[in-house]
Amino acid sequence: MIFRRTLPLLMLLTILLQGCAFSRGTLGDDIRPEAVAAIKKATTTKAEVLSLLGAPDRLLQVNGRDVFQYYRYDAKVGSLLLIVLNFSRLSIKSDDLFVILNREGIVEDVISSKRTEGLEFRFWPFGD
Amino acid sequence: MKLCLSWFAPILLSTVICLPFAGCSVVRITLNSPITQEDVAFIVPGQTTLTEVITKLGTPDSITDSYTGVVATYRFLDMKYSRVNFGWLLRPWTPVDPDLIISRTGLGTDAFELLCDSDWVVTHQSFLRHLSGPRFNPYPF
Repeated sequence: MIFRRTLPLLMLLTILLQGCAFSRGTLGDDIRPEAVAAIKKATTTKAEVLSLLGAPDRLLQVNGRDVFQYYRYDAKVGSLLLIVLNFSRLSIKSDDLFVILNREGIVEDVISSKRTEGLEFRFWPFGD
Repeated sequence: MKLCLSWFAPILLSTVICLPFAGCSVVRITLNSPITQEDVAFIVPGQTTLTEVITKLGTPDSITDSYTGVVATYRFLDMKYSRVNFGWLLRPWTPVDPDLIISRTGLGTDAFELLCDSDWVVTHQSFLRHLSGPRFNPYPF
């Protein structure tokens, strides 16, 4: 009985999704929110940051301080292939984390944002 | 005859509608969300701190050092590509796959830069190149 109900639905979905393509690519490891939350200003040391997050993707010297930069890129492609007319849209966003360390090797500030959370598969290339 | 016309008319109509789009491809690539003048209107040089900017705009893509302070850069990109293959029009009538392709790519890159002093207070802000977004136009000449 369930099979009879779901089969037409599956067939309809298969027909509707004909010519659709979904692709995804990522660069770098996911920056774990619990690891970021564990870093405390004026307390956590450089060694603890390294054990929590691993080696940084980039090491910068800014304003007389060491800055560890961690990043992750996420790309999603939605394509609508209608044989004679094709639409495709690729959206890329990044998660970034900057850990600012003072001269003593203690965390001075943590700057992070997760832009990839709202990243969606989009097909329509026009508009915003 | 009338029956034949009623059967043929929708096919002819759909063919005429589809012909201009034959072999068309439209592709768009975006990196991050574009930042507009309105988004950065809250920044007051000499008062706003980098932390306040990050709270509203998120983390910058890069932070670099300069002689006068720190430079924070937000980057975003919008690329549009369109292509028409006129060879598609001949495919039903030829045994080979002919291609006559015209295509064009437009790349709009931009960045928003902030210069901060040693106390992380914004002293200058500017868009690197505020290019208007490219348009979909496959005509390359």
